[in-house]
Amino acid sequence: MDADASAGEKERDGQTVIDVRGLSKRYGDFEAVSELSFEIGEGEVVGFLGPNGAGKTTTMRMLTGFIPPTNGVIRIAGADIFSEGLDARRAIGYLPETPPLYPEMTPAGYIDFVAKLKDVPRAKRKDAVLRALTRCGLLDVSGREIRQLSKGFRQRVGLAQAIVHEPKVLILDEPTVGLDPIQIREIRALIRDLAATGGQTILLSTHILAEVEIICQRAILLHHGRKVLDQPLSEIVADGRSLEEVFTRVMTRETEGAAA
Amino acid sequence: MRHTGTIASRELRSLFVSPVAYIVLTLWSVIAGTFFLASLIGFQERLIQLTQFQMLQRIEMMNLNDDLIEPFIGSMWVIILFLLPAVTMGLISSEKANGTDELLLTSPISIWEIVLGKFFAGVGFVTVMSLIVAFFPALLFIYGEPEVGKTLSGLLSLLLVSVTYVAVGVFASSVTRNQLIAFILTFVLLLILGMMLPFIVEISMAGSGLGRDSSISQIVNWMSTGSHVERMLKGLIDTADLAYFFVASAVFLMLSKTVIESARWR
Repeated sequence: MDADASAGEKERDGQTVIDVRGLSKRYGDFEAVSELSFEIGEGEVVGFLGPNGAGKTTTMRMLTGFIPPTNGVIRIAGADIFSEGLDARRAIGYLPETPPLYPEMTPAGYIDFVAKLKDVPRAKRKDAVLRALTRCGLLDVSGREIRQLSKGFRQRVGLAQAIVHEPKVLILDEPTVGLDPIQIREIRALIRDLAATGGQTILLSTHILAEVEIICQRAILLHHGRKVLDQPLSEIVADGRSLEEVFTRVMTRETEGAAA
Repeated sequence: MRHTGTIASRELRSLFVSPVAYIVLTLWSVIAGTFFLASLIGFQERLIQLTQFQMLQRIEMMNLNDDLIEPFIGSMWVIILFLLPAVTMGLISSEKANGTDELLLTSPISIWEIVLGKFFAGVGFVTVMSLIVAFFPALLFIYGEPEVGKTLSGLLSLLLVSVTYVAVGVFASSVTRNQLIAFILTFVLLLILGMMLPFIVEISMAGSGLGRDSSISQIVNWMSTGSHVERMLKGLIDTADLAYFFVASAVFLMLSKTVIESARWR
């Protein structure tokens, strides 16, 4: 495990935009995340993997400043999420597990509202909103009420909300969950497109392994709140193994290790 | 603080696409109209009676302010206690139920901006409610000559009470994600704050040796909104009363901020 972990922390090109050190979250006796550390460099697209309840959402909520950690330090684009919270949060675009939408608003009105919250300068706001709506394929429905939109469109509105201020860091919590196969393909293409053209650092959580293989360059595997694997995808599947094999092997080893 | 306006205007717009706002405003207008009409008829009947009995001195003492506008506005601030919880219940609780609190709290804005944004949205709404009430005394200026200052002071008392109630509503809405619980909690708090405190004093003082002038009963009386409205209705604007509304609002807004902040730590 040590070898796996250190491989992921090798020197990378560009500067570190997500820096996590000794992150823990305890709810009473239950430790949802424990001693988690990792660095993500500029422009990296990282998949956050793990079974349900592994601590993915909890970690992402701490990274975005929604909940405070019990222990540990988080720096986003060089700013501490606590002491320099405003700067750190300004650098983040975040799509929570359930897109944070106001059903009575229109996508256009909603994205404009978010742009104001995220401090997009007034002069650029109209363009920024239009660009976000365009990129997420929302132009045709931009005047309809969000409550009338299908789940796939609502997910896109959630994504548009995350990218409207062109953040350095995109944190996406299960962006394709609950969508039909066509919608999943569209959202994946959109994320890949964002990574390719925006140069944004993307951290996305999922339990669909294929998704990581398609979108990500690196995978971080969580199990019971601990990091059990952190490697570039190319290394993981280097000797012809599939991600699923590696995933299953590591998980079994962890479970047995815990039992022993 | 520039996000305060952003949040307030979004909230107001959402409020006005929901049926709740229109139901409340309709009820409010109908009740205001009925009460005004009742006050007007009462005023007229008394005038007729006094004329029949030739009590000229009593007639001279009657005026539109004391005998019509004051009781009218005085009853409206009791009515608002029943209607306002429906408006404020969703202010913060619906953000939690929608999951949109996750957007607000991960945006580069402060919790104060969220609390004040919600508060000012509510203030905007009760301003509309006060203007509806103001319409009726305004009619009297066409047919008679009420005192402008006294009328405005009465209306101001209604607005200030409502604003304080909004702060209470923001607080109640911040402690739960359930709108019904927020509604009931607001209602109970407003009942205590607006009407029940003087009775509580009476009851608790009756058994003890403390008189009504004891410092405890004075403090509790000071906390009650009712005691501060009465003087303003009579046209007396006292800084002590203004300070009360300011302090009461500030206390409940600070409580809301603390609740939202501490909810993150759970």
